[in-house]
Parts: sequence; structure tokens; C-alpha cells
Amino acid sequence: MEVLGIMLAVLGAALAAGLAGSGSAIGVGIAGEAGAGIMTEDPGKFGLVLLLQALPGTQGIYGLLTAFFAILKVGLLGGEAIEVSVWQGLGVFFACLPIAIAGYYSGIAQGKTSAACIQLIAKRPEETGKAVILPAMVETYAVLALLMSIILLNSIKF
Amino acid sequence: MAVTKFKKASLVVLGEKEEAVVSVLQDLACCEIMPEPTDTRTHDWAKCIKSADEALADIRSALRFLEPYYSEVSGKLERLLGEKPTVTVEELENLSNSIDLASLSSSVKKIERRMLDIRTLLSKLDSNEEILIKLRQFPYSLAIISSGTVRISSIVGTLPVAYLERFQGLVAELLASDGELFVAPFTPKETDVTVVLMYDKKKADEVAEICEKVPFTKLDFPPELEGTPEEELSKIERNRTELAKESENLERNAAKLASEWVPTLRNLLDYYSVIRTRYETLVNASRTEKVSVIKFWVPEPAVGKLKEKLSKFGEELELIIEDPSDDDEPPTLLENPRWALPFEPLTRLYGAPKYGEIDPTVPMAPFMFLFFGMCLGDGGYGVLIAFAITYLLSKYKIVGDTKNFLHLLLLGALSTIAVGALTGSWMGDMIDAFPFLALLKPLKDRLVVLNPMSDPITFLGISLALGVVQILFGLSIAFWDSLRKKDYMAAFGDNGGWISLLIGLLLLGGVKSGFLGGAAGLLGKILSILGAAVLVATQGREKTGLFRRLLSGVLSLYNITSYLGDILSYSRLLALGLATSAIAMIVNTLTNLVLSIPFVGWILSIVIFVGGHLFSVVVNTLGAFIHSLRLQYVEFFSKFYSGGGRIFQPLEYRTRYVKIVGSKPLGQQSK
Repeated sequence: MEVLGIMLAVLGAALAAGLAGSGSAIGVGIAGEAGAGIMTEDPGKFGLVLLLQALPGTQGIYGLLTAFFAILKVGLLGGEAIEVSVWQGLGVFFACLPIAIAGYYSGIAQGKTSAACIQLIAKRPEETGKAVILPAMVETYAVLALLMSIILLNSIKF
Repeated sequence: MAVTKFKKASLVVLGEKEEAVVSVLQDLACCEIMPEPTDTRTHDWAKCIKSADEALADIRSALRFLEPYYSEVSGKLERLLGEKPTVTVEELENLSNSIDLASLSSSVKKIERRMLDIRTLLSKLDSNEEILIKLRQFPYSLAIISSGTVRISSIVGTLPVAYLERFQGLVAELLASDGELFVAPFTPKETDVTVVLMYDKKKADEVAEICEKVPFTKLDFPPELEGTPEEELSKIERNRTELAKESENLERNAAKLASEWVPTLRNLLDYYSVIRTRYETLVNASRTEKVSVIKFWVPEPAVGKLKEKLSKFGEELELIIEDPSDDDEPPTLLENPRWALPFEPLTRLYGAPKYGEIDPTVPMAPFMFLFFGMCLGDGGYGVLIAFAITYLLSKYKIVGDTKNFLHLLLLGALSTIAVGALTGSWMGDMIDAFPFLALLKPLKDRLVVLNPMSDPITFLGISLALGVVQILFGLSIAFWDSLRKKDYMAAFGDNGGWISLLIGLLLLGGVKSGFLGGAAGLLGKILSILGAAVLVATQGREKTGLFRRLLSGVLSLYNITSYLGDILSYSRLLALGLATSAIAMIVNTLTNLVLSIPFVGWILSIVIFVGGHLFSVVVNTLGAFIHSLRLQYVEFFSKFYSGGGRIFQPLEYRTRYVKIVGSKPLGQQSK
């Protein structure tokens, strides 16, 4: 039975890293397409475009973080083997869900916002400050989800 | 904290002295000109602008051509960081008098034009070569195609391979012995084939008919090809070498010109830009036959200096200083104590304050400082950033906003080190993770007050409490600002009501969860009821009718959710701090994992350790910066600040390449 517990935790970690990473990949992709379009006109904007393209990338990092946290919790990353009951494993699995779900959707949404903001700096480079803040508004919800995932993971006792 | 006061100045000056006066203003760099809508097209100054524009256009096009050939003396990074060589006023004046811009510009243009010609010629040679290679097997001299003979004419073209047979059939059928067809050899992969059809001129109609029946594309045969294909090919080769040699020579010339003239041209570009701005000011002044009137904004503290500098003109001018009226929109000049200067660009990024509005830089600065530290929250990373920035600042002469920004990061790094020390995070759990660092552990542990990894809820509480403090602070600023503007309804109704309600609710919450004693409970009740009552009574005061007023008053209480959302938003301080420590911890764990690989383990672990932490510090610094900035913009500024002002843009030496220094104003050019 303890194998099932560990496997549930691994499933949670896999979803956190996989879904949040996919969201970021799509988001960064969307922003990158917009950025490439802008750079055909003005290659000098590379730095700014790269910054905005990188913004939707954080969800993937949050997912990875949660995944590591989860498998660290069940003792898969070295250290002593821990007895994980099915209920504890299920708990870890559920705790991974906030960042998995919010990471996926917010990554995509942030990518779209970033793409729009890349258009903004193409026309008005002096508004870069505002262009960086708008995608960060979307990221709030990924941050909140990450917070919840970590607090939940932290509160599961072994 | 407030924005600098401005005065409206009008300067009445004798016509012949106006340029001298304006050049003094430009040297002072403390006056923003108000353009007067006058008809300026025919004026003398308009002609001066035109000649300055011509010079600028010449310089720009020469620079655009020469700069790629110029190897910069100072490093690219240094120029990027805003370092400009200094030039004195005298040097610039001598330069503009001694240089023959027209001849330099024409010699640059000559090189540029010839290079363009060479490029065209080369591409022409390329396309000719392509045709020639196809027709390599052509048995006759090419003159038969390019010019024909008395009797014979020819056409060249391509057609799909699939139609070749039909084409050949048509030629045989309609032209018979009056035509000859040459088919260039083709490989099975090619879809089109090149053909040459020579025919008797009498048969032109039939040829046209043949070409219509198949998808034949006629090629324009270059008339200069007259010899046999092989002869022409070797001629092309010769031409190409000659052109390449010539182009090399031209490039050498361009490089020579560039190293000789680029710095001068840059100085001149700045010089003429400065002069042009001055003419623009002059052309926009309103004037009578004898005198001109120049109107401008001047910051109150600079008035004395202005008067002193203008005193040498004596009776030739008159300066009138007055207060701005209510209809005026003076520009905004931010004035902050030195310690808050690094935060000033953040205010400008959001939008400068309107004239008379509060400058949020000082109230924001301590929060930004603290929040950045909490979001990054790792002592080791703080040290890394601090070292990197100290290095940059000592190596390069950095000026302007770049310098402010680096100072901001440096402050943030210090705050990060403090937070990292208090939470025991040095490159994550590095000190605990690597046994050889065990020596440092007691030192680290003595500084630790709270470990957010093991006790996130306390840290969350601190984050939210800071949020409450900042939001109440924002509301208090709004309260104070409304009092200052004597808008008592807004002060006590809007801001006071909310402050009272929020504090009351917090006290009640404190009592409920057992942090506070009974007396606080009573006070909490009173404050929240008072606050709510004030809000119900005052919100919607612009509405008519008692019921509608009451309704919008009650509905306004629903805004409590937005305050709740604002406060919860501060939980990101915990989340981002945790993210930094956790990413660092993962890097350390991976480093330890690969260390056990035999032979190459230590190399891999060094790579992972260095690369991982560098990545982590970049990503987390970006996140910490953006998110602590967002807390200022969205949660804090929204309580008391609207922005939308216009930054003060004085008439000054605005230059791109050089910094103009010198004690006397840049001299007069015209007249």
C-alpha cells in the first residue's frame, strides 16, 4: 500500500511540473511570436522583448518548485525512506493541484498579455514600465496558487 | 514630498539681443518654453532652422554610412551605461567654424553611391552568369540572341519540362526550316527548361502563336552579351574581380574617413541639435517690430539664479515673474532627498504627479526597499548582487537613470541581505547542505529570527500585516492631502470612514483570535460602526434623493472586498521569498546528488551549483522587482495618487553623444 501513496505523490509532482510548465511554454511561445514580429521592424528592441517574453516563464518554475517540494517531502530525493500512507500520498497529490491548474491557465493568459504589451512597446517604447506591470497582474494568481500549494504541502504531516 | 512650485515668466527683450538671451537660458537649463501660436513660416529664424536642419541631415546621413566602419574608442558597454565624453563650448565652436561639412558630406556620398552601383553591377553579373550557365552549350555567338541579324530574330525563355515535347512539335510544324530550337540541358529534378528559339523574322506571328499555346515565360536577354557563352563567362569573372578590388578600396577609404571624422561628426550633430532647439524657441516667441516676448515656466528656486544671469543685459530686457493661474498646467519637477533619488524613476515610470499633487516617491521608498528584500530574501543572492553592482559602479562612470536604477538594486540587495540573515537563507540551505560549511552554521543560526520554510504561517502574518500598514498609510496620505486641499468631505467621508472601519474590523479580528484584550474589542466595535455609518452617510453624496443616496452609501460598504483583496495580495511577499529559498535549495540538493557520481561528479556539481544559482538569482531578482513594484503601483498608489502630470523639460543642451561643459553659453550662430 505504501507504494500507492508514493505514486500518488509522484503523480501530483508530475502534474505540477507538467501542467504549469506547459502553460508557461504556451505563454512564452505566444509572446515570442509577437516579439519576433516586432523585431523584424526594429531588432534593437531585443532586450525589452526578451524581458517581456520571459515573464510568462515563471509558472513553469513555480510548478517545478512544487514538484521538487512534493518529492522531497516523500523522500524520493535522497535521505531516508519515509513511510507514505495512501491518505498522505493523496494529500500531496491534492496539494499540487493549485499550481498545476492555475499555472497552466495563467501561463497562457500571461503570454497573451505579454504579446499585447510587446505590441505596446513597439509603438511607445517610453511606456515600458507599464508594459511590464500588466503581465505581472496575471502572474498574481500563479503566485497565490504557488503559495497555497506550498502551505498545503507544508501542513501534511508524516 | 511635494512637487516643486513653478512661476510663469515672461521675458520682453530687444530684437537684436534675443538670441544672446535665449542662449543664456539654454545654458541655465531651468526654463521650459511655452510656445506661442504665431505665424512663423516667413521669419528669419525659420530660415536658420532650415539651414540647421540641412546640416543635421548631412551629418546624420554621413554618420549612418560611416558608423559601421568605425571602431569605437570607448567600450560599447560604457556607452550603453550612459558615459559621454565631455566637450567644451570653445571646442565645439571652433569645430563648427573650421570644418567644411559640405565637401565631407559630398565625398561620403560619392563613396556611398559608388558602393551602391557596384552592388547593382554585381547582382547584374550574377543574373547574367545564371543565364550563361544554362546556355553554355549554345553553338553560336550570343549576338544572334541579343541583337539578331538582318533576317533572324530570337527569343529566350523557360517552360515546364512537361510541355517541351509539345513545344518542339509546334516549332517543327509551324516553322519547319525557318526556325531552329536550342534546348538547354536539364536534370530530371528541374521542372523548367530554358530554350532559345531562332526564327526568320517573317515568321514572327507564328512564333507568337506557339508561345501562346504553351506556358512559355520570356526572358529579357541582356543586350551586352555578344560573344560565345564561354567568352562571356570569363569576362564576367574578370569584371567581378575588378569590382571586388574597387569595393575593397572604397571600404578602406570609408574606414579611413570614419576613423577621422566620426567623433567630429558626432560632436557636430550634438552641436547643431542644440542650436536648432534654440532657433525653435526663438521662432516660437511672439514679437513686435522692436521686441520679442518669450514665455516660459521656471521652478521657484531657480528664479534668483535666472535674474542674476540676466542682469548683465541691464535695460535691454524686462523679466516678469507671476504665479500660475488656475487654468495653467505647469510642468512637474520632482524634488526628493538624496536617499530617495533611486526610487524616483519608479514614480516617473508610473506617470509623473500632476502639478500640486503629492509626489509618492518618499512614502513609497521604504516599502519598496523592504518588499524587494522580502521577495528575494536570500543573503547570498543579496551579496552577489551587491558585489556585481559595486563593480559596475566603480568601473564605469554611470549617469542618469541607469545610475539611479543600479542604486535602487544596490539598496534592494542590502535589504535582501538583512532579510536573508534574519530568515537564515544563504544561497538557500547552502550552509546546511554542504558539510564543509558546517563551521558557519552557528553564526548563521544566531542571526535567525524566523524560518519561513518551517513556519510559513507566521511569515504570512507578517506579510499581511505589512500590507495593512501600507494600505492604511496610503489612506492616511489621501486624508492629509484632502485636508490640505480643504476638501473636508473627502477627507473625513471617504478616507476617514475607511480608515476607521478598517482599524475597527482589525481590532475586532484581533480580539476574536485572542491577540487583544477586551477593551480593544469595544474600541473596535465603536470604530467599525462609526466608520460604516460615515460611509453610508457620505458615499453617493452627489446623488439626488434620500433613497438613492442611502442605497449607494450601503452599497459602498461592499468595497470592503477590494480592501480584503488588496491585503491578501501582500501574501506574495511570502510566496516569492519561499520560491527563492526553495529554488536555491533544489540547486543545492542537485549539486549534492551529482557529487556522488564517480570521477566527473565534482565538475558536474560545480556546473550545476554555479549555473543554477546564477539562473535563480536572475529569475528571482526580476520577480522580486516586478512584484514589489506592483504592490506599490496597484495596492498603494491607488489609495492616494493618480499621476498623469507632465515632466519638466527645460530648454537645455540635450545631446546624444557628448556632454557640453564650459562656463559661457554656447555662442551665437546667426546674424
